Amino acid sequence: MVAASLDRPRRTLAAWRERVRTPAGRRIALAAITAAAFAFPLIDRNDGDVDAAANALAFAILALGLNIVVGFAGLLDLGYAAFFAIGAYTYGILASYQVQPEWSSFWEPLQWLGLVARLPGAGGPDHVHFTVSFWLMLPVSALVAAFFGILFGAPTLRLKGDYLAIVTLGFGEIVPIVARNTPSLTNGAAGLNGVAPPNLFGYAFGVESLPYYYLGLTLLVFLIFVSVRLRDSRIGRAWMAIREDEIAAEAMGINRSRLKLLAFAVGAAFAGMTGTFYVAKLQTATPEMFSFPVSVMVLVMVVLGGMGSVAGVVLGALILQLLQSWFLQDLSQWIHALGRGTGIAFLEQIELVQSIELIFGIILVVMMLYRREGLVPAQRTVTVLSHAEQTAVPARGGISGEFALAARRSVDPATPLLEVKGLRKAYGGIKALQDLDMVVMPGSIVAVIGPNGSGKTTLFNLITGMVRPDAGTVRLAGEDITALAPHLIVERGIARTFQNLRLFANMTVTDNVLVGTHARTATGLLGAVIRSPRVRREEEAARKRAAGVLAIFGNRLLPRVAHLARTLSYANRRRLEIARALVSQPALLLLDEPTAGMNPTETLELTDQIRSLRERGITILLIEHKLNVVNEIADTVIVLDHGEKIAEGRPEEVHRNEEVLRAYLGRTAARAAP
Amino acid sequence: MLISDAPRRAPLLEFKDVDTYYGELHVLKRVNYRVDEGDIVCLLGGNASGKSTTMKTILGLVRPRSGTVSYAGEVINTLPTAQRVRRGIAPVPEARRLFPRMTVRENLEMGAFTRIDKAEIAADLERVFGLFPRIRERLDQIAGTLSGGEQQMVAMARALMARPRLLCMDEPSMGLSPHFVDQVFEIIQTINRQGTSIFMVEQNANMALSIANYGYVLQTGEVVISGEAGSLRDNEMVQQAYLGEMKAREAC
Amino acid sequence: MTIWDILLQQIINGVSLGAMYALLALGFTMVYGIIELINFAHFNVFMVGSFVGLWVLQAMGIVGQGHPLYGLALIGVLLTALVVTMLITGVIGVAIERIALRPMRNVPGTAAMITTIGVSYILFNFILLGAGADSKNYANPLPSVHWEIGEAVLRLREVLVWAVAFGLMLGLNFFVRRTKMGKAMQATAQDQEAASMMGVDVDRVVVIAFFLGSALAGAAGLIFGLYYNYTSFIIGYTAGLRAFTAAVLGGIGNIPGAMLGGILIGLIESLGGQFLAVRWTDVIIFSILVLVLVFRPAGILGRAAPSRS
Repeated sequence: MVAASLDRPRRTLAAWRERVRTPAGRRIALAAITAAAFAFPLIDRNDGDVDAAANALAFAILALGLNIVVGFAGLLDLGYAAFFAIGAYTYGILASYQVQPEWSSFWEPLQWLGLVARLPGAGGPDHVHFTVSFWLMLPVSALVAAFFGILFGAPTLRLKGDYLAIVTLGFGEIVPIVARNTPSLTNGAAGLNGVAPPNLFGYAFGVESLPYYYLGLTLLVFLIFVSVRLRDSRIGRAWMAIREDEIAAEAMGINRSRLKLLAFAVGAAFAGMTGTFYVAKLQTATPEMFSFPVSVMVLVMVVLGGMGSVAGVVLGALILQLLQSWFLQDLSQWIHALGRGTGIAFLEQIELVQSIELIFGIILVVMMLYRREGLVPAQRTVTVLSHAEQTAVPARGGISGEFALAARRSVDPATPLLEVKGLRKAYGGIKALQDLDMVVMPGSIVAVIGPNGSGKTTLFNLITGMVRPDAGTVRLAGEDITALAPHLIVERGIARTFQNLRLFANMTVTDNVLVGTHARTATGLLGAVIRSPRVRREEEAARKRAAGVLAIFGNRLLPRVAHLARTLSYANRRRLEIARALVSQPALLLLDEPTAGMNPTETLELTDQIRSLRERGITILLIEHKLNVVNEIADTVIVLDHGEKIAEGRPEEVHRNEEVLRAYLGRTAARAAP
Repeated sequence: MLISDAPRRAPLLEFKDVDTYYGELHVLKRVNYRVDEGDIVCLLGGNASGKSTTMKTILGLVRPRSGTVSYAGEVINTLPTAQRVRRGIAPVPEARRLFPRMTVRENLEMGAFTRIDKAEIAADLERVFGLFPRIRERLDQIAGTLSGGEQQMVAMARALMARPRLLCMDEPSMGLSPHFVDQVFEIIQTINRQGTSIFMVEQNANMALSIANYGYVLQTGEVVISGEAGSLRDNEMVQQAYLGEMKAREAC
Repeated sequence: MTIWDILLQQIINGVSLGAMYALLALGFTMVYGIIELINFAHFNVFMVGSFVGLWVLQAMGIVGQGHPLYGLALIGVLLTALVVTMLITGVIGVAIERIALRPMRNVPGTAAMITTIGVSYILFNFILLGAGADSKNYANPLPSVHWEIGEAVLRLREVLVWAVAFGLMLGLNFFVRRTKMGKAMQATAQDQEAASMMGVDVDRVVVIAFFLGSALAGAAGLIFGLYYNYTSFIIGYTAGLRAFTAAVLGGIGNIPGAMLGGILIGLIESLGGQFLAVRWTDVIIFSILVLVLVFRPAGILGRAAPSRS
């Protein structure tokens, strides 16, 4: 068939953008931008312009850091400037004359290391003058800020979005207030002064902006590199999974608390480094530099540029900073001239520089209402599918190909894989599960059926650790896993899908499946940035496994691997959830209504695929309403009603059971109807 | 599949080839229902069959993508919920949905929210006390503290305070002890005898069919059987539809 | 002055402050209860309200504090200023809802809250640019009458604050609990879908909540100006923090909670300022905010934390 659906965009801008999107085009564009950035101060020799540009670079780094917290991990931090302050004051105190304890022999080794100097006291004891090197403090203040990131982040772990934001706002306010009110350390509102500028192999930075510009640019390039590396790594995917659906993320093996703290820490580290840079450049630090409006300004940069988009937030930061320093003055002049020309007195009086915060407010409102994804959206556009790729022929016969699902541990066929004893759970007065006993033998398919509210999904939630039971135990291959955290249960070999679909809607199909590999991979923060050969191998292996799992479903998902999960059809979303669960190589797979919303043809296709999974060694526990499916593939059927098991056995036996019929169709009336 | 078909009058409520979607999911597929004045019509089906969506479509919480929903001769596809209540459709929602921190009396008052005829409202309150004698004692009790069965009574009473022509009940027996289920179904019949038509979504097919005139069986969004309640009772095919076998068609 | 006199004086001050904060917290918590939105703009509506009150009083011929009025004239002027201010700020609140917040109603996550930050900035900067950064002397017709209780002083303005604040709070309470629309608001806050199934127009309920909440904020702004004899563009920020904490402390979404929280915060501020140091008051209040949110998000009287994440 002719690929009629591929439209060639005619407008030159779109065509140009297409050309840039290719890998080669991207590299050229990047090289051009970087060259221009480095050449800039040599072209524009105005020190004021270079100074403004250097400040803009600092804020671009701040935007990058906030992007990690807000854009990647989805945690709204309204007090980000606190970390900026911490980095600034940490360097400022250790590189100025502010704090001068009395000299003692304790300080001698530090003097030898060059960290302090000895000041002769005028008619009194000698004092310590801190002279810690800027270059040493860059990473150190990053670490100090990261520590505070963890400290401030820890209380917010269990809070929902709005509340989390308020708590961070609280911390963000407390820090400058403390700074203002501890003048012994910070010189209070007057500000630290005499902060030593950096010194590079004897070259002292002084007051000229040029060296700061290049220093800032280098830092920015480095941190852009780090951001991109993180974004495209196991850690970045885990953050985005948390942003999209925390509960599903945990159910896929992600340790939510740890990763949230990591996001706070990394974001804070970026800000800490920037603080050190900024205070070294200004050679002073006042509490006003780190107040709530500064946090808001960085947020506006991120919102304007595009939450989650590295290029976007840098662009947003540069636009807003340079707007303030370069354009607003000139724009004000033009508006004054316009006012004089048209005779509108109001125009002659506008001072745009003062109105910058008004502009911020307008940007926030306008962006939220009309373009929430920002100037440069984080998600790439979707390529159009060919006609052949769009139509998928349903296949019977299960799965083919070399998809290997080696179970994580060798399973003894005689011992139960899953054993549930005396499981009980009540919500308020309602008994969701009452003393349930259940056994699932390895290599079998067990179906759990029952009317609405009979406790089936509660059972799944209890097995996977999402809910704690009131009583009872859950054992996996003999090991007690009752009430383990969900991500640990994934590691032990249980994976699940959800009745109401919990995909990561704004992540691609591939990334959704890759999140499923989280429990089977180990790349951490450092590995993500450095990308050693071992890390690369692990990523490749994970991608291969993901592709293998997606191939189970023929060409239904494979042509769409770069598509966002939210663009998939309902049936494809169900398949994607199953793929995501499979890729963690579970010994036991829990499927919660996998065929819901599928037509009979699709249902049969999936039924065959589930049967094939069993043949490859996966044990399956299945909640299903379509009893023809159950009859087709289940070895054992368990019937729940009002939280109790009312029948168990082979499908045919259960089918004819009177009690089961009654549970589904309801009791007959106690008295005959008139 | 139609079990039997008697000549019908102009309907009070009618669904004609209605398709409803939840985002991508095709929940109701060209469904046709009909409720005549004075009828008790029940909509049966297993889980995830589309019963709740039917109720939401009637109330206007969900709009159909195609087809028409008409009430008393008027097409109400896009009519806001408040207007539907004013025209005489009142809901008894699934799981009761009383206002938990308001008193029983205040809940009943909310049922009459769209009305302004004070004297008639007072008369209806008395009528409700007649149907549900225990409510009078509990008027000032906070609704959230009542038992499930008591809440169901209040929920039905609250709907009656709108003096509806059509009472829509969503799974009235859900979560109730057998004693209350019997009571509830008896009261439904009494209400019907007093002139209110009833459209009832139920999982408990036997109870529902024992009091209804007419029934529809839904399966994954399609009406697979419909007919007079008498012919549906103890019907093998209804059982099978419930238990999902009628949909086993071979793939191409 | 003995310790008891000091204590009494600070309690008088604290209750006055607390009444203002309670009034401000009420509007905020009412909106939250219905649509679960943290509306940052609310506190700058309060600030705008105090400016509106100033301009209304000036328009009535009151200038500074030099020309006090008495008796009926005083009451008439105050009542007029109050009503007009409340109407204007109420309308501002409704405009904010319709333009900036209604489109965000079904957007998940914190997007709507971010929008309120933007609106807050817009209001703040409008006043700053329009009226200037200096604080304005308030037009105040109140005579400097006071009563002495031991060595503590109770001024007329304190009585004014209590009268207006408690009067309005009682009025709101009556509205919410006794009127049909008030009960519709309660119902909407408890179960929005069920309320619409009863025929309640949820959009209208939200508009009314915004109108009332903003009107109360405006009233709080007016009495702030009369109490302190000044207003400035920054008061939304300082009073807002306290009112916000009051709402959270009392139980966000809970009307009696806002009143209780307000009084508590007012007392903490005045007693804290007296016995510790004023400059640490902000830190104390922020710390209370953080501690409540982390350890008891429902507040003292409130219900469970919101469902939306």
